[in-house]
Amino acid sequence: MTENRVSSAEGMKKEALPRRDWILLPMLALLTVVFLAGSTELVARKTFSESTTGIEKCMVVNDPSTGVRGIPNTVCWEKSPESPNIEFRFNGCGHRAGMECEPKPAGTYRIVMMGSSVAMGMRVRQNESFAALLPVELSKLTGRRVELYNESMGWGFPHSTALRFNQVLAAKPDMILWILTPMDVEKTTVVVAPVDVIGDDQSISLAVKAWRRAKEAVAAESLSTAMGTVFSRTRTALMLRHYLYASQSQYVKAFLAGSDDETGYLKGAWSDEWKNRLISFDADAAEMERQAHAAGIPFVAAYVPERAQVAMISIGEWPAGFDPYKLDDELRSTIVRYGGIYTDILPQFKTIAHPERLYFAVDGHPNPAGHAVISGLLAKSITSDALSALKAAQPELVSAEKGR
Amino acid sequence: MDTASFQFVAYGLAIAIISNLSRSRVWRSVVLMVASLVFLGLVAQNVFVLLPLAGFLLLGYFGLALLERGWSRPFVWILLIILVYVWLKQYTFLPARSFLHFSYLTLGLSYILFRVLHLLIDHGMGNEQRHVGLGAYLLYTLNFTTFVSGPIQRYDEFARDQYASEPVQLGARVVGAQLERIVRGFFKVNVLAMLFNMVRVDALGDLLQAGPPWMKFYAAFRLAVAYPLFLYANFSGYIDIVIALARLMRVRLPENFDRPFEASSVLDFWNRWHITLSRWLKTYVYNPLLLTLMRRVSSRGMQQLLGVLCYFVTFFLIGIWHGRTSEFVFFGVLTGAGMALNKLWQLGMTRALGRKQYRALANNFFYRGFGRGLNFVWFAFTLFWFWGRWPEIKRAFAALSLAHWVEAWLAAWLCAAAILTLWEWLRAVLLSIRSGGEPLLTSRYAGVVYASALGLAAFVVTVLLNQPAPGIVYRAF
Repeated sequence: MTENRVSSAEGMKKEALPRRDWILLPMLALLTVVFLAGSTELVARKTFSESTTGIEKCMVVNDPSTGVRGIPNTVCWEKSPESPNIEFRFNGCGHRAGMECEPKPAGTYRIVMMGSSVAMGMRVRQNESFAALLPVELSKLTGRRVELYNESMGWGFPHSTALRFNQVLAAKPDMILWILTPMDVEKTTVVVAPVDVIGDDQSISLAVKAWRRAKEAVAAESLSTAMGTVFSRTRTALMLRHYLYASQSQYVKAFLAGSDDETGYLKGAWSDEWKNRLISFDADAAEMERQAHAAGIPFVAAYVPERAQVAMISIGEWPAGFDPYKLDDELRSTIVRYGGIYTDILPQFKTIAHPERLYFAVDGHPNPAGHAVISGLLAKSITSDALSALKAAQPELVSAEKGR
Repeated sequence: MDTASFQFVAYGLAIAIISNLSRSRVWRSVVLMVASLVFLGLVAQNVFVLLPLAGFLLLGYFGLALLERGWSRPFVWILLIILVYVWLKQYTFLPARSFLHFSYLTLGLSYILFRVLHLLIDHGMGNEQRHVGLGAYLLYTLNFTTFVSGPIQRYDEFARDQYASEPVQLGARVVGAQLERIVRGFFKVNVLAMLFNMVRVDALGDLLQAGPPWMKFYAAFRLAVAYPLFLYANFSGYIDIVIALARLMRVRLPENFDRPFEASSVLDFWNRWHITLSRWLKTYVYNPLLLTLMRRVSSRGMQQLLGVLCYFVTFFLIGIWHGRTSEFVFFGVLTGAGMALNKLWQLGMTRALGRKQYRALANNFFYRGFGRGLNFVWFAFTLFWFWGRWPEIKRAFAALSLAHWVEAWLAAWLCAAAILTLWEWLRAVLLSIRSGGEPLLTSRYAGVVYASALGLAAFVVTVLLNQPAPGIVYRAF
């Protein structure tokens, strides 16, 4: 017994740490964490840099009477972490159209496009956007001169678009092309930009911003949510997401773990919130289609899917309870109900290997390659037999234009 | 809670702290029992689903009690236990109408089976004389640190630490080492395994989607190599966590992994992979079977072949233990065949070269390197029937021509051989850097830096993805 106690005491002595280690080891752990976190954030900020000011400087973002609109004759530059520095040049009418807002040249078939950020060509150069590529492809396919005047606007969701629909009609289009995205349904009634965009100006100091963010974090429901909120704002988080979301399966999994606001449209059975959003969307679509019909202008809508949606379609499998085609079906039904034409490009993504690579991984907007593919799909769909708005008009229009 | 989640680790650490409030074995046993029952309750969330498991445990205990009272037919009870296990696990060769038609918990059942069989066999054969009371039996079989996926601990090892009057020492160094191991395990499961799983799922997706041939070839290569690495990170990470948690509760669990991909042969691999399972089967299947057969065959040459046969049978059983479908039967056939062929190769080479020269060859740098690569790809190949169902496997193999598949496996072999050899070399070089008599890399200072870095990475990825890591694969068995 005594021997046992002695050996036990000796063992404990051998097991004991030198006194200096009680300070040294925690310090070493702390230093490691601080060094790694700091150096990773520095590398991430260098690799995924972003501009301090952005497109909102060229826009009126908080006027509920007009919705978000561009300030005429302004030029802004914006670099998001995943994109190069992009120029946003607004013409005399406040549109990023790549041309002035003038009457269409003789012999030209004019499409006026409306929509939100994807249609405006957010994150890509104007000449890389499908707004610039589509008329070229359509001209090639139809043998006629097609022009696309882009009135799309960042945060230009349906209600906001409806407020500016008189401008669309004023441009004397031969066809109205409405580009829809899931966000157009989610934020259908939004007419001003989010608070963080409106308030994110130079007058707010870094300390105030940090305080706001800290308050948001504290207001979170749980510690893990709070930590997630704080961490997700770091550039390290963005960098890691950028690389992790390169994986098709990982991205879909992570995306589907999101809130109903983000993923609800992919579900087979929609929540009441999503049903209400569709009702609001329906009202705006009906009003714009009515006006277009009265003016005798073909009203065509096309749906551009989100990154997770195309990945699911490409994989061909999705978890029970989800249906990536549901929103497409709902939109078709709405647009067709009021006499519009719905051009469906969604099923085509099934034939594209890794269509999620056509989008910026974290930001989610289509990248230049994505714009090129969307342009090709739209051109094919618009000129197909099933959708003949442009093609049917072709013989008589061509001869009439030739006669002028 | 039943995976290597943050909640599981936090629960285990809390129990370890409570358990150490007293060194009394009664206190530590009460804490472990309550913790295991609470764990079971958290996993089941409904007492009703626990009834079949409770019945299985009571059946085992009843058999044990009979054997302790001198009942002389242990094999009847052993067979009964195996049959009930097969029935509760709903093996597909049994008629479906014979099964219980309500959902019930089978989590941990496979591991309980080994513990119960071990007690029954050892008591039946007279190898274990100690009385095992109901409390001790339940503590041993339901111990939450080994419940989900092992390791398969022997009762004598468990009792030695759990009921020791002077419990195993737990100084600052040991605590530090265990915390480091928990972080390492958490990193393996939540970061490494997640990444390897991502590679595998993407590769399978690429193989089955439209795409150019080079994309499919590359996908086949990734599919071949990703799963063994995923499975290792997933399972050994979980084992790291539970061994460390048990050690903090002053119980030493047996190791389950010993750098398995360092093995240069299939025979060596199974000494390093899921060690407690192969040890159990060698003790209770391979050795008795070999002895029984050798008693009936006197020819020395034939006796060597009997060893080959016993390897096949033992590792075929490992295969079918893993699952209840025909895929696992095929996995068992491949695993058994791998062991048997490796043994035949050993015998043939020893006969051809002589024992000394064969040993020299087996230690040759290049032979070992290619052996490592071959063992890795063989294991990877067998695992197709471990993770896949027949339609999925057929679709994967149909996505490429036979020639391309052969090329993909050859590429995997060569890459595995090169990378594993390079890894071993690098490890040896790093461990040769010494300070104060011990390798610098294994010093507590390096350990703290290493664990802090892994902990940060695991935390970041867990928070970032806001989703659970893939479940512990071996919890399903």
